Amino acid sequence: MIRYLVRKLPSVVLVLLVTSVIAFSLPRLVPGDPAALLAGPDASPQTIAAIRAELGLDQPYVTQYLHWMQGLFTGDLGTSLQYRRPVSELIGDRIGSTLELAVLAGLLLVVAGIGLGVAAGSSNRRWSRFLTEGTNTTMLAMPPFLAGLLLILVFGVALPVLPISGEVSVLSDPVIGIQYLILPAIALALPMAAGIARLVQTQMRSVQQEDFVDLATAKGVPSGRIYRRHVLRNSLGPAVVAIGIRFGDLLAGAVVIEAIFARNGIGQLAVTSAQASDYAVIQVVIVGTVFVAVMAQLLTEITLAALDPRIRLA
Amino acid sequence: MSATSAPARRATKDVRRAPRFPTLHRYLMVLKSGRGITALVLLGTLVALALLAPALFPGGYDEQSSGALAGPSAAHWLGTDEFGRDILVRTIYGLRTDLTLIITAVPVSLAIGTLLGLTGYLNGRLGLFVQRALDIVLGIPGLLLGIMIVLVIGAGWFALFSAIVIAGLPQFGRLARAGLLTQQDREYAVASRTLGVPRRTVMVRHILPNVVDPLLVTAAIYTVAAIFIEASLSIVGLGINPPQPSLGALLNTGARYVQTLPTYVIGPGVVLLLLALAFTLLSDALNKAANRR
Amino acid sequence: MTITTPSTEPAGSLDTDLLLDVRGLQTHFETQFGIVRAVNDVSFTVRPGEVVGIVGESGSGKSVTARSILRMIHKPGRVVGGEVLYRGQDLLGVSDKEMQALRGSEIAMVFQDPQSALNPVMTVGDQIAEALIVHGGEKKASRARALELLEQVGIPDAPRRLDEYPHQFSGGMRQRVVIAIALASSPKLLIADEPTTALDVTIQAQILRLLAQLREDLGVAVLMITHDMGVVAEMCDRVVVMYGGRVMERGPVEAIFSAPQLPYTADLLAAMPKLEDGEEHRLPAIPGAPPDPSRLPTGCSFNPRCRFAEDRCRESVPVLTIRGPEHSAACHVTGDGAPLTPAPPAEATAARREIGGEPLLEITDLRVDVNCGRGGLLGKADPVYAVDGVSLEVRPGETLGLVGESGCGKSTLARAIMGINPVSGGSVCIGGQELGPKDRAGSKRIRETVQYVFQDPFASLNPRRTVRQSIEEALEVRGVPAKEREAEILRLSERVGLNPLHLDRLPHAFSGGQRQRVGIARALAAEPRLLVCDEPVSALDVSIQAQIINLLSDLRDELDLGFLFIAHDLSVVKHISDRVAVMYLGTFVEIGDAEQVYSDPQHPYTASLMASSPKPDVAQRDRERIVLTGDLPSPKNPPTGCRFRTRCPIGPLFRDDRQVCIEQAPTLTPTATGQMAACHFPGELAAPTA
Repeated sequence: MIRYLVRKLPSVVLVLLVTSVIAFSLPRLVPGDPAALLAGPDASPQTIAAIRAELGLDQPYVTQYLHWMQGLFTGDLGTSLQYRRPVSELIGDRIGSTLELAVLAGLLLVVAGIGLGVAAGSSNRRWSRFLTEGTNTTMLAMPPFLAGLLLILVFGVALPVLPISGEVSVLSDPVIGIQYLILPAIALALPMAAGIARLVQTQMRSVQQEDFVDLATAKGVPSGRIYRRHVLRNSLGPAVVAIGIRFGDLLAGAVVIEAIFARNGIGQLAVTSAQASDYAVIQVVIVGTVFVAVMAQLLTEITLAALDPRIRLA
Repeated sequence: MSATSAPARRATKDVRRAPRFPTLHRYLMVLKSGRGITALVLLGTLVALALLAPALFPGGYDEQSSGALAGPSAAHWLGTDEFGRDILVRTIYGLRTDLTLIITAVPVSLAIGTLLGLTGYLNGRLGLFVQRALDIVLGIPGLLLGIMIVLVIGAGWFALFSAIVIAGLPQFGRLARAGLLTQQDREYAVASRTLGVPRRTVMVRHILPNVVDPLLVTAAIYTVAAIFIEASLSIVGLGINPPQPSLGALLNTGARYVQTLPTYVIGPGVVLLLLALAFTLLSDALNKAANRR
Repeated sequence: MTITTPSTEPAGSLDTDLLLDVRGLQTHFETQFGIVRAVNDVSFTVRPGEVVGIVGESGSGKSVTARSILRMIHKPGRVVGGEVLYRGQDLLGVSDKEMQALRGSEIAMVFQDPQSALNPVMTVGDQIAEALIVHGGEKKASRARALELLEQVGIPDAPRRLDEYPHQFSGGMRQRVVIAIALASSPKLLIADEPTTALDVTIQAQILRLLAQLREDLGVAVLMITHDMGVVAEMCDRVVVMYGGRVMERGPVEAIFSAPQLPYTADLLAAMPKLEDGEEHRLPAIPGAPPDPSRLPTGCSFNPRCRFAEDRCRESVPVLTIRGPEHSAACHVTGDGAPLTPAPPAEATAARREIGGEPLLEITDLRVDVNCGRGGLLGKADPVYAVDGVSLEVRPGETLGLVGESGCGKSTLARAIMGINPVSGGSVCIGGQELGPKDRAGSKRIRETVQYVFQDPFASLNPRRTVRQSIEEALEVRGVPAKEREAEILRLSERVGLNPLHLDRLPHAFSGGQRQRVGIARALAAEPRLLVCDEPVSALDVSIQAQIINLLSDLRDELDLGFLFIAHDLSVVKHISDRVAVMYLGTFVEIGDAEQVYSDPQHPYTASLMASSPKPDVAQRDRERIVLTGDLPSPKNPPTGCRFRTRCPIGPLFRDDRQVCIEQAPTLTPTATGQMAACHFPGELAAPTA
């Protein structure tokens, strides 16, 4: 198991390294001088030079990169030019909001995705299969923001039962906080859950054709136990992989959901920074998101190994 | 069955004879499923609407009427926007923008991704290298990729186009590579090689046609993702530049008036859903047709 | 729908002590093309402790029959008629719950493919114990019993292996686990569906021996589904012969083999090549192919292929009539007392071949690393020599047979000759010229001399290209002008026995035998002088095998071709070869004149292989058998010294004093009997049959 994870390590490091290089290069890829851009149209050459020196832009790229990386590791994430505050502070203020959203949505994704998939995969009645497939197809075609807008229309406008805008931290006030969180989390998770559900369902159908299911039947195992002990565990692999890959999308989806539900999270920060070309913030957000996404994928590899001895013992 | 049957029997039709255009024949099977027909009818209607937009609404998407943010009426079925423009007209022009975008970007992504995936046929090590590079792109969520591209080249049509092209590369590349690896070891591909058929011909004749099916299915699924990428970037204000409408841009402004003028989001929302639904159903039908033997 | 055709046999229970009594069983599949009558009025019985074989070719309905008994037919199949009486109780009438209680506890099943029959994510111990727990076993006791069962089926080091997963077991060991699961609740009847088909000859011998022993020890009755007449002759007391979904003949195994009453049974037995066959002769093949169950001929389903077919055979379905004690057969012709004359030997080949001339293929000390070119971006994979130091030559008109079990490297050798796998050491000379590193698959030098005939006729033809296109491709490479191709395609298809009217069909419209003919035509289109045939008949039904073997030997004789004929079936190799090489773990252990090697094997592996092959001859069932222990070691890590020593019945495993086998690798040296063998003690283990 440990050897298996160690073998995965180089590719994880490689992805993070390449991402950091890309993030680092972003402002340098833009045509024009970032210092001049920041200083504004009327700035004197001296001011521009001063800004350039302040940002360290007058040094060779490699030195700049190493310096920037060092900052990432020591927590010195630079200063936002838009807000004139340290990036670490900006992120620290907002990370709670995004974390709450991502954790709840992630939980919903796993529970709803696998739950719906198992329900669809183990039902043999025609109408129930038709119903689940119909719901599933519609949900597949419904992006998170559309689901969000729909939820706002139904639960915010038509029958106003839940707040649709703003937020309260779950930690400070769980009861109110969860009310603010529930609609965004559902909007974010459900459309992706449909994809997961479909994977589980098709996989369960194909596992049911396997010889070992026949053998279980032949030894007299009741059908409920066959589903639980033989079909289910062999069907989850692709879904687990997909959840790992989808977790990055979930984080990215938070950007849009935060915009729609007016939540002040990392996503909003990323958007405003992108609009204002505030690279210091964007760079950290990119590296951070990819880091979390990669960790999520690593976690799925561990889950996968736990599910399947052929991977674990290879 | 004797081998020396007289050719005179040719008169009777051989029912099991292969169809003249087998590939086309197989894809026409899409029409045999309910999902396929629904998808094509839906898609046909949407494309026709988008194509006919200039003829139906010669005033274009910028034509202003008297009242801003007016509710639905006989003249303006979905009401008017903050500048007094008809929302329905803008929605249909927005659909036109979205369709143009996916119809150009998805095939480009499919083509480049497939070519990248097939590099392994030229050189195993190169293929492995490309695969690793694509894996890294896969690790970066699509929307984040979009934001990065917007940062470098600025918001607008071309940024959306590039984001859709690049975000699709890993999927198509991996699939093409997986197909290549299984197909080139298939016995019929090996058989042609041992006969001395040139490598290029083996590729075109035996490998590509068998890789195409899953690629097309994925292209249909990816089109849905492409629509989402456009809309997501537009919703956070990094999409198409105003005043040109796109479905996402309309949702972006519409969301501000969700309490007062719900039709502003319902209109573009429904059209977007129908468009995505058409491609979801199409992918299902293609998948079914591809697996038919 | 017709009701069960009346049987002229006295219906009802003669025996009161029947374990299983299947009467008029009918199983249909409702497909979009109409109803497929996969099992059509099948009746037979099994007594306690008896081994009954159901034998038939693909599509005969034998497996569906087995599954129908346990009510395990997959959709869209359905048992539509008949009775399955188990100890007097009709299994088709009991509730699902009762049926579930009977499965495993009273009737158990063993499946064909041990690779896929075990749940990959459950330990074998849990899987065996589950069979007890679902029938009310207590958890701890079940585990103890699982251990006992593992030991009973002969798995060494059972306490440790109980907690291992299926992928950690070899194929033969997995099949033992499947048998242990089946035996868990001490069932009275074991249904074994092709239990040894997926296994190698030496492993098959182990499993058959195990089954025979369990039957003796436990008194369990076995219903053995198989296509292999050899297995039937070795294992069964009584036989049921199925064809086209019906029982065509059934009776005691001795009667069926010595005096079959059905032309099909008689011809099938005659069509099998046998180890004891002497002089070269053509096999009396059955023409045509087994019928597609969805398009059965009218009347007797065998009539289009039958030598004796008369008008009434085409009009009415024959019923089973009594031919002897417990022996009945369904045939209009023999029912009237007409004798079954032996099939006339097919006319001898016109051209008498001559072996001689310059060798077409000459291999010296060949080594092939199958991991060559593998590995990641950084670094290479460790070399694995699937072929390690092999030398051979083939002359025009000559057939060199190559036998060995799966994993011995015989296919890798063939692929290296074709230039598909790169050569890592030694040399390959084709047509007198040595291959260089630039001679890849399909290079001019290789393709003009050698062509390849693949094992799997389903995989070697592109499913999207018509047969004409497949053959034409080969002509195109040879440089035949477009105008002349049509005539050439017709000539080739006639030559291999393909209907020219079917050339525009896609491969899936053909039967396995016809596809193999297409594969041969395609290889011939390149006008090679040597054919490498890699298991060309092993995927085919027995009645088709003989047709293809005859076709190949005719082609060889007429065109003066050289053959490298690879197979795992010893009798097939014996039939067609002039010389034989026996391969084990990447090396030749014995090579020599076919007659000589078979009559007097010098290497213990050759002797054991011959002893392990089941023989379609009841008289030989009591012969002494050498059953090898253990599995083929991995070529990644071959044993030191003699590679066979870990399984050798005369090696250090059984004789402590034979350290030389561990220390020193034997080389191929001439033996007293004329062939070459790589053994320190050649000729010591004699062939058990003369």
